[in-house]
Amino acid sequence: MSQWMIIWRKELLELARSYKLLWLPLVFLLLGVSQPIVTYFLPDILANAGNFPQGTVIEMPKPQSGEVLAQTLQQYGMIGSLIVALGFMGAVSSERNSGAASMILVKPISRSAYLLAKWTAMLVLVWGSLTIGYLGAWYYTSLLIGEVDAIRAIQALLVFALWLSVIGTLMIAGSVWLRSGAAAAFSALGLAILLSLTASFLPSALAWSPGQLPGLASGFLLGSIPDAAGMIIIAGAVLTAAILYAAVWRMRRMELP
Amino acid sequence: MNESTMELSKLLPIIAPLFVIQLILVIVALVALAKASQTRGPKWLWVLVIVFVNIIGPVLFFVVGRRND
Amino acid sequence: MSALLRAEQLTKAFGSTQAVAGISFDIAPGRCTALLGPNGAGKTTTIRMLAGLLQPTGGKLSYAGVKPGQSPNSLLGYLPQAPSFYGWMTGREYAVYAARLCGLSAAEARSQADALLERVGLSAAANRAISGYSGGMKQRLGLAQALVHRPKLLILDEPVSALDPLGRHEVLMLLRELKQETTVLFSTHVLHDAEQLCDDVLIIRNGEMALQGSIEEIKNNHRMSVITLHIEGDDHSKQWCVSYQGGAYVKELRRIEKGIELVVTDMELARRELLGQLAEDGIRVAKLEFGHSTLEDLFMKVVSG
Repeated sequence: MSQWMIIWRKELLELARSYKLLWLPLVFLLLGVSQPIVTYFLPDILANAGNFPQGTVIEMPKPQSGEVLAQTLQQYGMIGSLIVALGFMGAVSSERNSGAASMILVKPISRSAYLLAKWTAMLVLVWGSLTIGYLGAWYYTSLLIGEVDAIRAIQALLVFALWLSVIGTLMIAGSVWLRSGAAAAFSALGLAILLSLTASFLPSALAWSPGQLPGLASGFLLGSIPDAAGMIIIAGAVLTAAILYAAVWRMRRMELP
Repeated sequence: MNESTMELSKLLPIIAPLFVIQLILVIVALVALAKASQTRGPKWLWVLVIVFVNIIGPVLFFVVGRRND
Repeated sequence: MSALLRAEQLTKAFGSTQAVAGISFDIAPGRCTALLGPNGAGKTTTIRMLAGLLQPTGGKLSYAGVKPGQSPNSLLGYLPQAPSFYGWMTGREYAVYAARLCGLSAAEARSQADALLERVGLSAAANRAISGYSGGMKQRLGLAQALVHRPKLLILDEPVSALDPLGRHEVLMLLRELKQETTVLFSTHVLHDAEQLCDDVLIIRNGEMALQGSIEEIKNNHRMSVITLHIEGDDHSKQWCVSYQGGAYVKELRRIEKGIELVVTDMELARRELLGQLAEDGIRVAKLEFGHSTLEDLFMKVVSG
């Protein structure tokens, strides 16, 4: 078995023992399932909560099923990425600061294998959590709101998974470059927000920006796919690879306590 | 029948899974709390946070309260 | 190259401070070497460079059988001063993981881990989480994980300094066994540990090599004849000590609390003359010792001088 595989299995074991393998998917599932349910019951909730006279009929446009899934992705874009950041902010720095990394990296293993194992373990957990939560949202949406176009829904999921990969990779790179986990989470989230804000303020100048990824994911669900879809996806993949390369580059030169 | 009336029979099968997931999350958090040798802040406080703060409580415990050895 | 490890003008600067300022030495295969020096001398920095955790800012490190630019990690077993493990793993899990990382198959790793845990006396605690281990247990687990791949060179940073007397004794006994099997380099600020275990010493001070060689050689080359005289507390004897000037044979004269200490060039002459003088002047001698300087004396001199 390759070194990478051995370290990767240790990472997964650590994710399990630290309960991350349980609570991250559960939180994504809760977020995902809540969205269609809340949307479905919103008129009732409003009717019961507000002091409306008896018999008031609250007219609300019934949302399309695609909209509900897009809203779920929006939730994942905010709360989901915050959780990913909190879950992985110390991926490398905590082991480095404690000295545990020194003991491992003096073994005849390559530092890039060490980092790539951490990165893939992160990806597995993030993709898994996202998929589980999204499937929950999808199920409830088709149950309560209406059928969803399966192809569009899967395309949206894949594009959004790429966006979360960008954020997760930023997080891992942050924990390589910075000693403090909080600083890493702050920088990674800051950069992600910067990416998506610039993309939404300058949609034409930054048509290919990876910051368009969340918008593109929603676009698939809402039926408004931008022309640059392919380029955005390629840009997202290139950015992920570039961040990962920077992290490996730094990792190779890192001095350890 | 009025469509906007909340009927228990209609509500329950939809909402029940939501509660079950929340319950699992709370139980997992409580088990982790019980097993933890030390936490940031007193354990009894974390019990209250996990049980009474919806969703955020268990997450808060896993991220902040649990010391990762 | 006969040396297992050769360091030439090894240098490490952190900003403008030179932690290690161009030291050169050889580690011969099969020998046990102590890297000795006071705290802050640059021992840990040197060891971290040898283990590949720090990049030297100057000089060269070459390992027997390793091409320049290649990693020597498969030759090395390393134990830092305060080993840090994954607290959520059990001792056995960690030892197996370490063995797997060194390229052992799953079955080999398990049997090797169990054998080593047995050897360092951790069998009973092997299935407990490391977070509950004491300092001595962690040090012993650290030794086990450093040995899983039968390294050619075992590098230990202050392996006993953080331990209580019992833990210290256990680890020293283990090291005594281990040095029969492999080449050992360990750092310490305690001369006694070095003297007990080692064949060779490297004494460093302020990042520079102060003295190096085999213990026997150093003892012989730097051995001095020393006479220690303690007197009773009477005025006459005290007066004599204060006014004593020594003779031609005295190289160094130190007045100590209970009397005097002499470093002499000719022991036989000194013995005859001093005994005669003491008897003649009626000095009340409490203790008179004709001996040799210890390594401790030399160490103190080298380190402070």
